[in-house]
Amino acid sequence: MNRKLSLSGLVRRLVLPMSLAAVAASGAALAQSKEDIVIGGSIPMSGVFAFAGVGIHAGMGDYVKMLNDAGGIEGRKVRYVPEDTAYKVDVSVAAFKKITSQNNVNLYYGDSTGFSKTINPELERAGNILMTGASFATEINDPEKFPSQFLVGPDYTEMFGILLNYIAKEKPGAKVAFVFSDSEFGRDPIDESRALAKSLGLTVATEIMTPAGSVDVSTEVLKLRRANPDYTIFHGYILAPIPEFISQGKQMGLKSRYMGTFWTMDNSTVMRMGEDADGFMGVMPFRYYYDDAKDAPMLDKIRAMRPEYQSTAYTQGFLAAMLLTEAAKRTLAAGKELTGVNMKAALNSIENFDTGGLIGVPITIKGNSLPVGRIYRADYSQKKMVPASDWIVLD
Amino acid sequence: MRIGTARQDYITDEALFDTTTQRVWMAVFLAVLVAYPFVANDYWLYLACLVAIHVASATGLNILTGYTGLVSLGQAAFMGLGAYTVAVLETRYGTPFLFNLFAGGVVAMVGGIIVGVPSLRVKGLYLAIATIAASFIAHFLFVNLGFTGGTGGLSVPPATVFGLALDTSFRIYWLIMPVTILMVLGAANLFRTRVGRAFIAIRDRDISAEVLGIPLLRYKLLSFALSSFYAGVAGGLWAYFFRVVTPESFPLLLSIFFLAAIIVGGMGSILGAILGAIFMTMVPEVLRLVVGWLPIEGDTLQYVAPVRTIVFGLLIILFLIFEPHGLAEVWRRIRRFFHLWPFRT
Repeated sequence: MNRKLSLSGLVRRLVLPMSLAAVAASGAALAQSKEDIVIGGSIPMSGVFAFAGVGIHAGMGDYVKMLNDAGGIEGRKVRYVPEDTAYKVDVSVAAFKKITSQNNVNLYYGDSTGFSKTINPELERAGNILMTGASFATEINDPEKFPSQFLVGPDYTEMFGILLNYIAKEKPGAKVAFVFSDSEFGRDPIDESRALAKSLGLTVATEIMTPAGSVDVSTEVLKLRRANPDYTIFHGYILAPIPEFISQGKQMGLKSRYMGTFWTMDNSTVMRMGEDADGFMGVMPFRYYYDDAKDAPMLDKIRAMRPEYQSTAYTQGFLAAMLLTEAAKRTLAAGKELTGVNMKAALNSIENFDTGGLIGVPITIKGNSLPVGRIYRADYSQKKMVPASDWIVLD
Repeated sequence: MRIGTARQDYITDEALFDTTTQRVWMAVFLAVLVAYPFVANDYWLYLACLVAIHVASATGLNILTGYTGLVSLGQAAFMGLGAYTVAVLETRYGTPFLFNLFAGGVVAMVGGIIVGVPSLRVKGLYLAIATIAASFIAHFLFVNLGFTGGTGGLSVPPATVFGLALDTSFRIYWLIMPVTILMVLGAANLFRTRVGRAFIAIRDRDISAEVLGIPLLRYKLLSFALSSFYAGVAGGLWAYFFRVVTPESFPLLLSIFFLAAIIVGGMGSILGAILGAIFMTMVPEVLRLVVGWLPIEGDTLQYVAPVRTIVFGLLIILFLIFEPHGLAEVWRRIRRFFHLWPFRT
């Protein structure tokens, strides 16, 4: 048994297996590099936010399909793996854990501010995922605290900023009222917007907080009437109690113009107000589905895929998938690994990016948000939101 | 009663586990809990931690509602008090996590005693309505107290043991699971004592209990205190687990969730609270998995998601119709079947 180890034996026993192992490893690395790029999604397909979740899901699915039909990213297919969350944070986290346990996830879409905040430490620890979501919370718009996340649009304070800039331009020195829900969502932009209004020479005539989705708001309408604002900005609601405010306000002879923010501003939501919708205004960072502007070829493609009306939540999901994959594409093109930090840096390298006309101006992503939007006004005779301003880009 | 388990003294009669078989199975169960983190992936570990937190809180509610007969819809608010206490202590003072958890329990306990005062005058649905106030008051405090972080809430640093951050499901499991087991054991032991039996007496007939010499004031408030202490500790675990606490983290709906858990599991049974919490947490997830296995082609998520919710609701209704004593009774029936096999009950 005491055999001498010859050179050829050494080669056979050590070098050859090592070479084979190296070849196998490089093969594995090659296979790894050709792995699918996975977009996970905690999507609220049921529960109170399902009205948006269905659209977001369709938008993300459509963009991924479109991208794969065009060859994917650097020859790699993009795979979209969604799970329903019922808009509950614990279920969203469970969905995240399930998806990330079963897939090598690179990109993720979260369904709420609560989820974005809860999963943030996990994203930082894992360091391999870039995330966006349905949240426009001002708190998320902080690259220091949320280095692996971004918002697909302006944050709520920036939405107020766009509205207030428009008001200051249209009617300098105007009186504005803030009506918001007693929730994290509702209170989000109020403090900063109060200061901004003052700096723009506007007067905040009153601030009214109501329970989210409240129905009886007669006391609050009286308060609004006493303040008699030129503009009333609603925030933190989807629809109720906005129609009640407008209808009772009109009965009391209020001449205020009424405005809303993103989640109220879908065409179908505004038109549900009936005739009271006419003249309702608000901020929208995306073009509406039916916008036939010449510089919006992506909307033509969407209309070709889906002939029926698609909500602004659809556009948000579609654009989210576009920006997430654009970040991955730029990272791979730079020969870098798909880590959260690299992809975020790639995302922040986006300058004058053409979204195919989904947003009416080329976009530049400096921090965690896209501070751009346009004021739209409801034209009830056409049952459409129509542009009331040019695109407004905040500094 | 099982054949061959004649008890010859009070100690044996009061034992938590009265047969060797039970003790062996319990040892096996504990061994499984110890081995579990080493075999489960992150998803299943997450669910195990979530279930454990729900078990702790449901056990607390069971002490109050199942054993003392005082219906409460304030459990989520008490969890919130515990969670915020932990969050504030951890972020401001960096005190040890065990102290924070205990403090969370104590603060919730004080809240529970205050909310429990109306229980001396009202019972049943009236008391349930009175305890709803706890949710609203707690929400108001969380939003408006200066140190609670307002509507944005607080981010909680991970609990640390000798410098090791419990920041993954695997690590936090070793905090959550033992604490939950201790709490469940504590609750099980409670009902072997005078205090526990006094609770049961109050539930069965409070006037008779008072005639028997049980001071209703002290024991009803004690039940509220214990129940909310459990909720507070569970809330503290929740804070360390999710690492973010906001005023919207503990809605009234969560209290209803716990009430449903003990009803489905079986009120007035330690096992009932455990099974109920497992059922309420896991069934939606199991349904998600089952749906995932179905051979359905194409984009089915938007059709399947509502179906899952409907099936979950139906399962709860069916349980209540066909087994009003809850899952604990189903479990007992299964045990009886095997005890007597091949004979039938």
